[in-house]
Amino acid sequence: MAKSLLIISRQSPWSGPGAREALDIVLAGGAFDLPIGLLFLDDGVLQLAAGQNARAVQQKDLSANLQALPMFGVEELFYCAESANARGLGKLSLDEAQPLAAEHITALIDRYDQVITL
Amino acid sequence: MNSITVGARAIELDKDGFLVDLSDWSAEVASALAAAEDIELTPEHWEVLELLRSFYAEFQLSPATRPLIKYTALRLGADKGNSLHLNRLFKGTPAKLAAKLAGLPKPTNCL
Amino acid sequence: MSTLHVLSHSPYGDDRLSSCLRLLGSADAVLLSGDAVYALQPDTVPFSTLQERAIRLFVLIEDAQARAIEIPDWAKAIDYPAFVELSIHHAKVNSWL
Repeated sequence: MAKSLLIISRQSPWSGPGAREALDIVLAGGAFDLPIGLLFLDDGVLQLAAGQNARAVQQKDLSANLQALPMFGVEELFYCAESANARGLGKLSLDEAQPLAAEHITALIDRYDQVITL
Repeated sequence: MNSITVGARAIELDKDGFLVDLSDWSAEVASALAAAEDIELTPEHWEVLELLRSFYAEFQLSPATRPLIKYTALRLGADKGNSLHLNRLFKGTPAKLAAKLAGLPKPTNCL
Repeated sequence: MSTLHVLSHSPYGDDRLSSCLRLLGSADAVLLSGDAVYALQPDTVPFSTLQERAIRLFVLIEDAQARAIEIPDWAKAIDYPAFVELSIHHAKVNSWL
């Protein structure tokens, strides 16, 4: 049985390579058929803001890439409800992501064999 | 520099034979790239190439093998969205070869 | 199941420590290394927060010494061999990179 892996992505989409690196790990894990989960925490929830425009800053479209996660076999998608509220996020761009309260995030981390926080 | 001649134009390719400028892609370019791989494109090939182009338009990335199979099954049904069918069409490396012919970037995480 | 959370960023102007404390399970422990040891600067918000929470708190002693941080008696100072020991006594390690 392959070890399960939880990636906690907590960098904003435009601040540096952190958000992209977290996604790359998840996509690679999905391609290897690993049981893999992705949690957006802190500024990481900003990756889920609807209506972002990557072209305005000539970058790759991270939001579009995130939509591909279910295709890559990554179905366990979560975000911290508190982080999203604190940042005034309303509609999110990733329908599959489920909001979690802090105590459920503690339980989520417990459930996985390994955790990587980026 | 690697290139392929289509009509009167030389189309630039990278060292793995992928288009350097994705906007160079056309049906003629796809046929020429396929011919260089000893493949004659049939309607079955074309529907997969079109599917890949729509995958790229939607997600802005090239699928690895598993997502390609999943997406194909979703759009064209399970009789086409399976590794047997895709491997037969694209010489055993559907993610890599079909992405090349469809004018997509080389898939990362391609296994 | 227990997790060892490893922090290495300064807590000032950064929310790793507060997020970590928010998500900490009852069997979990926190290790402060690198600039994260600045959380133990007395008379600061991180210091009093950690003191009040009374969690299982470990501090990498050489990083504290290098930064002139005194380790309070409610935290446990450890060296690298003890860090390794601590890691294997937890089900997993979550490094807040």
